[in-house]
Amino acid sequence: MTEEKMPSFMRSLCMGRIEQDVLLPFPTMRDGDKEMLQGVAEALSSMLGAHEEDFRRWDREGEFPSEYIDELKEFGAFGLIIPEDEGGLGFGSMAYSRALQEVAKYDASTAVTIGAHSSIGMRGLKLFGTDEQKKRYYPKLSTGEMIAAFCLTEPGAGSDAASIATVAKRDGDDWVLNGNKLWITNGGIASFFTVFAKTDASKRGGMTAFIVTTEMEGVSVGPHEDKMGLRASSTTTVNFDEVRVPADHMLGEEGQGFKVAMKILNSGRTGLGGGSVGAMKKIIEMATAQASERKQFGQAIKDFGLIQQKIGQMVVDCYAAESVVTLVAGLVDAGHEDYAVEAAISKVFATEALWRTADEGLQVAGGNGYMCEFPYERMLRDCRINRIFEGTNDILRLFIALTGMNGVASELKELASLRKSIFSHPIKGFGVLSDYATKQAQLRTGIRAEGTHFTRLVPELAAYADSFEDATRELATATDRVLRKHGKGIIGKQFATRRLAEIMIDLFVWAAVMARVNDAIAAGADDAEQQREILHVFAGAATKRIRHQLRRIDDNDDETLKSVAAHAFELGRFAWDTI
Amino acid sequence: MKILVPIKRVADPDNANKVKVAPDGSSVTSEGLEWKLNPFDEWSLEAALRLTENAAEKSRVGEVVVVTIGPKDATQTIRQGLAMGAERAIRVEGDDAQLDAWQVASVLAAVAKKEQPDLIIMGKQVVDGDSNVVPQYLAELLGWPALNYAQSLTTDAEGKTVKAQRELDTGVETLEVDGPAVITCADRILHPQAVKNGVTPDDFTYPAIEGGRYATLKGIMKAKRKPIDETTVGDLGVEAAATVQYTAFELPPARSGNTTFVESVEELVEKLHADAKVL
Repeated sequence: MTEEKMPSFMRSLCMGRIEQDVLLPFPTMRDGDKEMLQGVAEALSSMLGAHEEDFRRWDREGEFPSEYIDELKEFGAFGLIIPEDEGGLGFGSMAYSRALQEVAKYDASTAVTIGAHSSIGMRGLKLFGTDEQKKRYYPKLSTGEMIAAFCLTEPGAGSDAASIATVAKRDGDDWVLNGNKLWITNGGIASFFTVFAKTDASKRGGMTAFIVTTEMEGVSVGPHEDKMGLRASSTTTVNFDEVRVPADHMLGEEGQGFKVAMKILNSGRTGLGGGSVGAMKKIIEMATAQASERKQFGQAIKDFGLIQQKIGQMVVDCYAAESVVTLVAGLVDAGHEDYAVEAAISKVFATEALWRTADEGLQVAGGNGYMCEFPYERMLRDCRINRIFEGTNDILRLFIALTGMNGVASELKELASLRKSIFSHPIKGFGVLSDYATKQAQLRTGIRAEGTHFTRLVPELAAYADSFEDATRELATATDRVLRKHGKGIIGKQFATRRLAEIMIDLFVWAAVMARVNDAIAAGADDAEQQREILHVFAGAATKRIRHQLRRIDDNDDETLKSVAAHAFELGRFAWDTI
Repeated sequence: MKILVPIKRVADPDNANKVKVAPDGSSVTSEGLEWKLNPFDEWSLEAALRLTENAAEKSRVGEVVVVTIGPKDATQTIRQGLAMGAERAIRVEGDDAQLDAWQVASVLAAVAKKEQPDLIIMGKQVVDGDSNVVPQYLAELLGWPALNYAQSLTTDAEGKTVKAQRELDTGVETLEVDGPAVITCADRILHPQAVKNGVTPDDFTYPAIEGGRYATLKGIMKAKRKPIDETTVGDLGVEAAATVQYTAFELPPARSGNTTFVESVEELVEKLHADAKVL
């Protein structure tokens, strides 16, 4: 744990400050962990490599055989994040994320089975459990004797998690639980559920988290869902009918369920990010092999520019995703507490980078890519859900922008209240007002104020640092402008919010890539120049995207597009035909 | 039963093309290469683990001690052996690239005298130097019987007598030997029913695998806490001088990479004689 509390990189960035100490040095694993993780990666690839043919079959059959789940238990795959003295492997975020990367190279259904257990299913116990709760459940969870599932989503409560209908009513020493949960990963194989239920009907979001086990009467699960991807993993409904949950099975405090759920999701994000990176690495391996072997027009297709463009972009995307996921995992391991925006960015970026990579990898393979004989189509199907579950990327974009600009909002609020009371608090008032005016002037002119510039980067990166600082000033100015224009009404301005989110995503990923390349150059890595080239491509593209988004804040067709949509909603169909 | 399994790390045999010779030809450099467990040693360790467990109940009934000669880095290879299931390990400090077969055998003999195992099971050779003489030297130094290229091993529950099959050009030879003995294994030892120890039920079938068993994550974590004795050649009282002097190393000439297809055996013989000059 760090002694002093480090600020959120993105919140600061929105105010024009670059907290380079959050980025540098780019997190690395300790030597001992590195050696062990190498062993773990080798072990995983021996175990999973033997099942490569099976994974294809299990995908078609739509279910893992129970012997395979037993093999995973025996292997120790369910104990990744449980402390060593409780029988687990004691992995921190970086090691856990890296382990899931290895699993995802082979099979996404396996990765999500392990991930739903560790990233979210039992994460609540790890973060909020009492010693007694941990003592009771850790041993069984680490061996996989109990597999865990996270039960939040309901038929009427998806992105709007606060609107759940499952209720828990206090009755003596127990809580009596009633309700139905939907699309629960591991539902069919789990016996440990982290369940969210409403405990205060009078308050929106007045909910509480509970540990519920299949030993309790009234817990039942529905049939195995037939899905587009991740077909072999278990997804079911989980139903609670008059389930008596002892009061000591509460996770966290009564009424704090929403916070518990969000903390779990934030903390588990690097698992999904790691999985996405693993799948990308595998696709790049397959696509480069395919492009080297496949000949058309008398030459290997890897000699064609359009194929090189695709492979190059995949590598840039993968490097960027790995950098941002690793940076966030490093922040978690270093004891940072304020990383929710950064974690959300890593999830959005990594899952979309994987989608692009899976799509383009399939394109490189051409017709073969569309055949079930090859893994491309399965990987494309498997990764589609990543943009939907653990918080849809749309909701996360709103979250990123709104939370990111929080600091600016409170600054403006203070300013507004002071402006009114400036005559009663003249000294304080003038101080704050002039600070604000100075800051705005600096943002607009780029005067080198302390904390708004990189000072720890190697000279080779000066040009990238400059354009990053320019973009940061633009972001801070734009945030200020948007907030002053909309005030509290920003909540309803999703078009504008999304634009800020896109800028923030690009900037944080850029920062992560830059920090990683910086350390590679500083360490004299053999391939530092190749890494700098990746930064060059990413930074160039990001600069253009950011410029475009900034321009569109004031000059856009938002209202026209809304009107087009409104027309379609009115008719309930597409209005035109050429007959 | 206690089995001593000598193991050695080798430069990743799947990337042997990355092995380089120092500019002055004095040595082979393995910089930047990943270390792997010598495959022959891996099979032997697998055989030793099968002889000392009840596979049906997944419990251990004997002890496997792995030993290696190498620098501190070689600990990684030892950990792999421990993660696969060996009980403990011994590392004898030494430069594994410089020792010759006689020195290795002398060190291993000293370790064996100290450890008093019922059997030594080891790879018949190491894929870097490919000498294939250490097991024979070792048996000679210890005065123990040597049994090479076993394709199956059967012991009774006490493990004193070992029945082994060896595949020869002339057929399969079945031998029985009383321990202690030095045994080397062929790859057929990995057959699902090649090893029987009188404890694991006779009808038990191991999964078909290509190398040794994989280390589980649990195994890796347990290995972190298993004991590794560190000792030196001097502590073991070994004074063996090298009997082989390496004078120079050079890489084989690069292959041209040209492929020629021939229509007939006659043409092949002609080309081998006239062009390739190997006949």
